[in-house]
Amino acid sequence: MPRASKFTRSMAPSDEELVEQFQNGDSSAFEVLVRRWERKVQGAIYRLVGPGEDVRDLSQETLLKAYRGLGTFKQEARFSSWLYQIALNVCRDRMRRGRGKSYVSFDELSETGDTGTEPGPSALELIEARDLSRQVAAAVSALPQEQREVVVLKEYQGLTFLEIAEALDVPLSTVKTRLYRGLGQLRQELVRQGVRGGTPVPAPTS
Amino acid sequence: MMGRKGHAGPGRDVMDCDAFREEMMDLLYEEAAPAVARRLDEHQAACRACRDELSSFRRLRRHLASWRTPPDLGRVPRRFSSARPYLAMAAALLLLVTGGLALKGSELRYEQGRFAFRLGRAPEPSALSAALAAQEQRHRREIDALQATVAAMSEKATLRKVQRMIEESEARQATIVSAGLTRLEERTEARRQYDLAQVGAGLSYLDGKAGLQAARTTELMGHVLQASQKR
Repeated sequence: MPRASKFTRSMAPSDEELVEQFQNGDSSAFEVLVRRWERKVQGAIYRLVGPGEDVRDLSQETLLKAYRGLGTFKQEARFSSWLYQIALNVCRDRMRRGRGKSYVSFDELSETGDTGTEPGPSALELIEARDLSRQVAAAVSALPQEQREVVVLKEYQGLTFLEIAEALDVPLSTVKTRLYRGLGQLRQELVRQGVRGGTPVPAPTS
Repeated sequence: MMGRKGHAGPGRDVMDCDAFREEMMDLLYEEAAPAVARRLDEHQAACRACRDELSSFRRLRRHLASWRTPPDLGRVPRRFSSARPYLAMAAALLLLVTGGLALKGSELRYEQGRFAFRLGRAPEPSALSAALAAQEQRHRREIDALQATVAAMSEKATLRKVQRMIEESEARQATIVSAGLTRLEERTEARRQYDLAQVGAGLSYLDGKAGLQAARTTELMGHVLQASQKR
């Protein structure tokens, strides 16, 4: 998230400016931050714990913790990294307590209706796309937690490697290693499920 | 982080496969610095295995994109002020009482089912707010002036004015009714004349027909009389 320059001050305030406003007593700044990040945080939680009512509960818990902690938040890391860090911790806590689990309900996935297909697909293409969406969801949910977190933050949330390193509090190289391994496992799993066009070439032996 | 063995490509390639895989994620997600990206491109151009590896990850990313979040995740209900609004209200009131001048400019609002407490000065009004305030002031001045004019008129004068308006209205109504009656009378007279003419014409026709019949009867009677005299 780029910091606002003097040329963009007249436009929407940056996250950092909103944090400053909040810490100076303007609680409405938090509402702006919520509107900006709520949907993204929900998307991350949805993919980390799977669909269901827990997503809303965990989103609420994440934002509430952010509200309580924002007053003392030192902007050494980006606000987005900090917020995702809270969301990750909330998801980990929930999974540790066993109240939620990283499991994707195929029934719920079939109700999404958003498969990313091009306009005008045939019925067969729609079925294939829905199947692929389910297969991808199942494969991501089957990843080890550390790899799943990196894959979700990078592939679906679009964070930079640096932002992910901040959110997970690990070195950059660790982020890339986890991502490489996670993608490798996903590729292998999709091939095992017979996904068309996903056939990987064997890893180089040299 | 990956395999230990390297692969030195031919020609200008100075990056081995291990190094390529170290940096491949940067290339895959377009975060590689230009110089690094150039070296990675040179390596994959010379190394088919690494080129295929990168292609397979790019294909994988297209598959991963098929998993979208449902559109109905919905907005999270906002309860950030406090889980216990009454305690929050009590705390805010206590702050107001004890804060005194230190809290000058603070604001406590109740909106959308909860209390919102803001410290510090209110934000400067926008240009739109200022324009609306000016317009409201202008309207208030105009309303005040109108009320003053009405109040200045005496009750008697007002009654006279209203009476005059009623009389003028009645005169206009009478003129309209009179004109209407005149037109109706003229139309009725014309119709009457027309009907009389029609009756007169009808009688004349009957008279004419009766006269001819009488002449024929007389002629017949003359013929009968002459025939009887000849016998």
